[in-house]
Amino acid sequence: MTTEQNFPEKIPLFISRSNISTELNKTGSWRFVRPKYHEKTAPCSAACPAGEDIARIEMLSSQGRYRETLETILLENPFPAICGRVCFHTCETACNRSGLDEPIAIHGIERFIGDTAVRDNLTFSLERLPDNGKKICIVGAGPSGLAAAYFLTRLGYSCDVFEAETEPGGILRWGIPRYRLPDAVVNAEVQRIKNLGVKIICNTRATQNFLEEAKDRYHAFFIGCGHGRSLKMNIPGGNMALDGLDFLNRMRTEKTESLNNGTAAVIGGGNTAIDVARSLVRLGVKAILVYRRRKQDMPAFEYEVETAVKEGVKIMELFSPSSIAQDGGEYILTLQPMKRSGMETDTGRARVVPDGETTQALRVRRIFTAIGAEPSEPWQLPSEENAETVYLNHCAFMANNPPFLFGGDLTNPTKSVADAIASGKQSAMALDIFFKKGLNAITDRLNSCLVGNGPALSMERYLDGKRSSRNPDMVSYEDINVDYFSPAPRIKAESLSLSKLMNPFDEIETTFTIGQVMEETRRCFNCGICNACDNCRIFCPEIAVDLQDDQRQINLDYCKGCGICVVECPRNAMALEEEV
Amino acid sequence: MKKVLEGSHAVSEAVRLAKVQVLSAYPITPQTHIVEALSEYCSDGTMNARFLLVESEHSAMAAVIGASSGGARTFTATSSQGLALMHELLHWASAARLPIIMAEVNRALAPGWNIWMDQTDSLAQRDTGWIQLYCEDGQDVFDTTLQAYRLAEAINLPVMVVLDAFFLSHTFEPVDVPDQDLVDRFLPPFSPRIELKTSDPFAMGQMAPPNVYMEMRHDIQKAMEQVPDIFSRVEQEFAAIFGRSYGPVERVHCDDAQVIMVVTGTVASTCRKVISDLRSQGEKVGMLKLRMFRPFPTDLIRENLGSVQKVAVVDRNFSFGASGIFAQEIRAALCNRNGHPPVFGYITGLGGRDVTPEILAEIYWKTKNSALPENESVWVGLNE
Repeated sequence: MTTEQNFPEKIPLFISRSNISTELNKTGSWRFVRPKYHEKTAPCSAACPAGEDIARIEMLSSQGRYRETLETILLENPFPAICGRVCFHTCETACNRSGLDEPIAIHGIERFIGDTAVRDNLTFSLERLPDNGKKICIVGAGPSGLAAAYFLTRLGYSCDVFEAETEPGGILRWGIPRYRLPDAVVNAEVQRIKNLGVKIICNTRATQNFLEEAKDRYHAFFIGCGHGRSLKMNIPGGNMALDGLDFLNRMRTEKTESLNNGTAAVIGGGNTAIDVARSLVRLGVKAILVYRRRKQDMPAFEYEVETAVKEGVKIMELFSPSSIAQDGGEYILTLQPMKRSGMETDTGRARVVPDGETTQALRVRRIFTAIGAEPSEPWQLPSEENAETVYLNHCAFMANNPPFLFGGDLTNPTKSVADAIASGKQSAMALDIFFKKGLNAITDRLNSCLVGNGPALSMERYLDGKRSSRNPDMVSYEDINVDYFSPAPRIKAESLSLSKLMNPFDEIETTFTIGQVMEETRRCFNCGICNACDNCRIFCPEIAVDLQDDQRQINLDYCKGCGICVVECPRNAMALEEEV
Repeated sequence: MKKVLEGSHAVSEAVRLAKVQVLSAYPITPQTHIVEALSEYCSDGTMNARFLLVESEHSAMAAVIGASSGGARTFTATSSQGLALMHELLHWASAARLPIIMAEVNRALAPGWNIWMDQTDSLAQRDTGWIQLYCEDGQDVFDTTLQAYRLAEAINLPVMVVLDAFFLSHTFEPVDVPDQDLVDRFLPPFSPRIELKTSDPFAMGQMAPPNVYMEMRHDIQKAMEQVPDIFSRVEQEFAAIFGRSYGPVERVHCDDAQVIMVVTGTVASTCRKVISDLRSQGEKVGMLKLRMFRPFPTDLIRENLGSVQKVAVVDRNFSFGASGIFAQEIRAALCNRNGHPPVFGYITGLGGRDVTPEILAEIYWKTKNSALPENESVWVGLNE
């Protein structure tokens, strides 16, 4: 300090200022509307069949809080690494970011979290109710059965899962090819369920007798057997076609015979047909997918269809197989051309009818069918005899003694892994409500646990967790203050080239790097949730937003209700309400 | 360390070394390079400061007024139309007694659009209560900016550091840029006398009725009157550390001069050469460079010009319907003195037109060869 620091004392400085604190002026008395912190529901979250709190998941990831991210996912979904690979991500279709540029790569981020959890052996804490002494028998260790066991265990039940195959996983292990979902990923996430104390008994095919005997030992049953038997083509020579699902199953266990340089036809337009065709490509086979409707009518997920085409699968649309004949070591597949008839129906699929008399013949080495499947035993579906049955959107509840729940593909509106998880969760909640409050309470109680306006259910809400106060109001693109966001390209995970893989059945999509996740999660609007950006506090002209221990509170003594905080909240996590 | 810097970056370097905490500006040629460098310093962490993005100069000044009220050391920069847009808040900054520093790059006002050198923009703001310092070269700009912070913070008034468009703002020269610790010795952290804090809220700038308003204005003038004394002490301290000083005015060959040419900004450099040439021809000519314009150094003007035979004022500005602004002020400073010399006013170099040695020589000869000014203002260098 120099002597010149004394200057100021000599300089007159009479300005207009108050002598008393302005805190005396309680500007809060001017208010007729008041702001409040009001978290809402992000559209991604409501679109997720498992009801994951996605806006929060992206926020936590963007802050590098991976353990908390994992815990937030595990509240609603036991399989982030699996879903991060095979889910058809309706979340991304619903994403508000599409209004600005492109949706957030939610799917890839979930995969990163799932893989990080496994690789780093992340520890997590998960709320679990005390053991209630009730035992549940679960038939089928597919995604719905495993999910049911997972959620029931967390609700205090002890679960035994019976599986006919040698290992658990169901469709995850036997239906989805390795290049989309490696065994190690399935094993790691099934292990997490085993670690909760769920017993999985393999090589045990449940029969009606088995169930009858087990009734004494269990307080309830969950049946999630899936579609065990493929549908056959009812055309001349139809028995010469091979079953696609069976082919996929064998691909998992044994080396199939070489079909090098041959051509094979795959009949069908669903995800199984695509999986069969892509597997054939990996065996060096020229795969031709034959579908009776148009390509855009295929029930297979669009992304899968596009990838198949990129990998070399040829698609013949508007052809219906009319007969199969043998010719030497090969088959002649006769195809009837089809055409669209009439307008598209509500389901988006146009009806098709034969187009002319001229058929086409296709000479191939093999023909595979993937035209659908059905349950292998009638008891795997709910029977309506002698019991009151409640049909919910993802399961059916038969109030026998003991009660039986039916879930998974056999009751789900969409046959997907995410819907199977939704089924397991809904069944677990329904059963718990039944035991605590009776059959009639189920619907109302479930409705109180919807994410947004449903249909997804939140286990966090059911357990009265921290986020239960989240308002069901959905945040739309118009609610976002997009002035705070600049267009930024969506991050894409590296896709390996099929020709460069060591083994053609190695996984083709890669996991995001940590840098990519940082970049991508920062694109997220975090619709309807507070990410502590602090705009409300910074912009408040009355400095009426108090910040203590990371919690913001509006000081109503001074808040004059101008609403600037609500307008400047980039993500609509606040609201104005009238004073009463 | 000597660096080759353009005038704009001499300002930026001084602002960096002054450890300014809050900056806000809106880009306008020829000011842009100053704030471009500073915004980079803020974003790459070279400066521990906030650069507030705004939509206009009016908001830029409002932003630094807010920051300065909160006790932060502040900076902004502008030119021409931007300065004109700030006008309302220039009054606010001085009457709130805020030590804001602004670099003002002299540029002509539109229409017609003209981005070049002209002093009318800053001189039109002479009644806003800002201290104004006019710079001659890159080193001057650097040093004046640092001195401005000491001065402003000592007397609680804002300072405008004025530099010529392009001739100074975009010209590269060697500039001695000292180390941070030397600058820290000269310029300690800002300790505001009045500081708005959220923990102790009070109102500022509210109603001042007739019974107090005049006293507030009188205080601003009393502070202005203390500037010469404090500025000379600031310069002494600056000289003790950096070995350079300038003064509010600079005399060149004034002792025996019969005609003294009054100049500002980069024209001073040209004039030094002209004076030296004329002197070698035996002409008794001197030069008075005006560095401080507000407060107007009336005493120094009287002392240096009061007894000379003739004064020739070179104005790169004009007050329409009157005369060159520097000439007006010099006439006003001298008029209450007995036997004051005639003041010849010359208007030249508007809108970036060159003020060449020939023009300055012409001004000299015109003055020498006329007993009295033919007009209040004589326009020199007009196209026929």
